[in-house]
Amino acid sequence: MNDLFAFVAHHGYLAVAAVVFSEAIDLPLPAAVALIAAGAAGATHSLSLASVVAVALCAMLAGDCLMYLLGRSMGWRLLSLICKISINPETCILRSAESFYKRGRVTLLVSKFVPGLNAMAPPLAGSMNMRFSQFLALDAGGALLYIVCYSVLGYLFRDLVASITQGVQTAGHAVAIVVVCAFVGYLAYRLWLYRKNRVYRVVPRVQVAELANRLRSEEADRILVVDVRSHGYYDSGAARIRGSVRIEPNNLPTEIENLPKTKDIYVYCT
Amino acid sequence: MAHLLREKGFNAFIIVGGLAAWRKAGEPLEVVPHDDLVHLPTFS
Repeated sequence: MNDLFAFVAHHGYLAVAAVVFSEAIDLPLPAAVALIAAGAAGATHSLSLASVVAVALCAMLAGDCLMYLLGRSMGWRLLSLICKISINPETCILRSAESFYKRGRVTLLVSKFVPGLNAMAPPLAGSMNMRFSQFLALDAGGALLYIVCYSVLGYLFRDLVASITQGVQTAGHAVAIVVVCAFVGYLAYRLWLYRKNRVYRVVPRVQVAELANRLRSEEADRILVVDVRSHGYYDSGAARIRGSVRIEPNNLPTEIENLPKTKDIYVYCT
Repeated sequence: MAHLLREKGFNAFIIVGGLAAWRKAGEPLEVVPHDDLVHLPTFS
C-alpha cells in the first residue's frame, strides 16, 4: 500500500491514469487508494486536484468504454463466461440480465463503489444494447462521483492518510489470510468434486470422426445428438451440431421423458 | 449428464471435445432455430 502511495507521488498523473484505467478493465488494482493518494498530493500542491479528477475521469471512461464495446461485440457470450464460475450459470445469466434491465441506469451511477458490480456493469450495458450516448452519460456521472469522493477524501484528510495507510496495511494482512483460506477451501471443494465425479468416467466416449461416420451411415436414424450446454442460446446466429436437440440441464426430469430409449444418445457441450 | 442418462436406462455417450471439436473437424453445424433462443431483455 505504501508502495502505491510512493508510486502515485513519484509518477503523478500518469500513475493515477494507469491505476484507474487498470481497475476499469477489471485488473485487480485499487483505484480508490490511488485517488486518495492523489488527493493528498493535491493538498500539498504536488498535484493539481482538478487535473487529478480530469485525468482519472478520462482514464476510467476509456476503460469502461472498452469493456462496453467488448460486451457489445461479444453479446451474451461475455456474461456466459463470467457466469461460468457460479453454481448455476443459467440462473446467474437470467437474474443478472433481469436485474440490470430493471435497475441498469441507477446501477451505472453507483456500481463503482461496489466491488464486482463495477466489473460487470459496463460489459452488461454493452451486451444489453444500451445506447452508447446513454451509457456514456450515466457512466460518466458514476465515474465522476467516485473519483471526486475519493480524491476529496484524500485532500481533506491528508494528515490522516499516513495513519489510514497503516490501518489499511494491517487490514490488508487480515484480508490476505482470508484470501488464502478461501483459496485452500476452493481447492478442497474442487478435489471433493473430482473424487465425487470419478464415477462419470464409466460413460463411454466417442471421437467426432466416429460419430460423424455413424451419422453418414444407415445407422443415422438410431442416433440422437443432444446439446447439454449449461446455459441456453442467447445470441441469434448461435450454432450447434446439425440435427441436434437441446436438453435443459436444470429441467432434466421433464426433458428425459421426451427422449427415446430406442436411440443411442450422444451428448455434447461447448 | 450422460451418467444420469445411463442411470435412467438410456444408451448415452459423450462426444470428446464437444462442439469445439466438432467445429474444428469441419463437420456440419446449423444455426439455432429462432424458437429455441432465450430472449433476454435488452435496452434497444
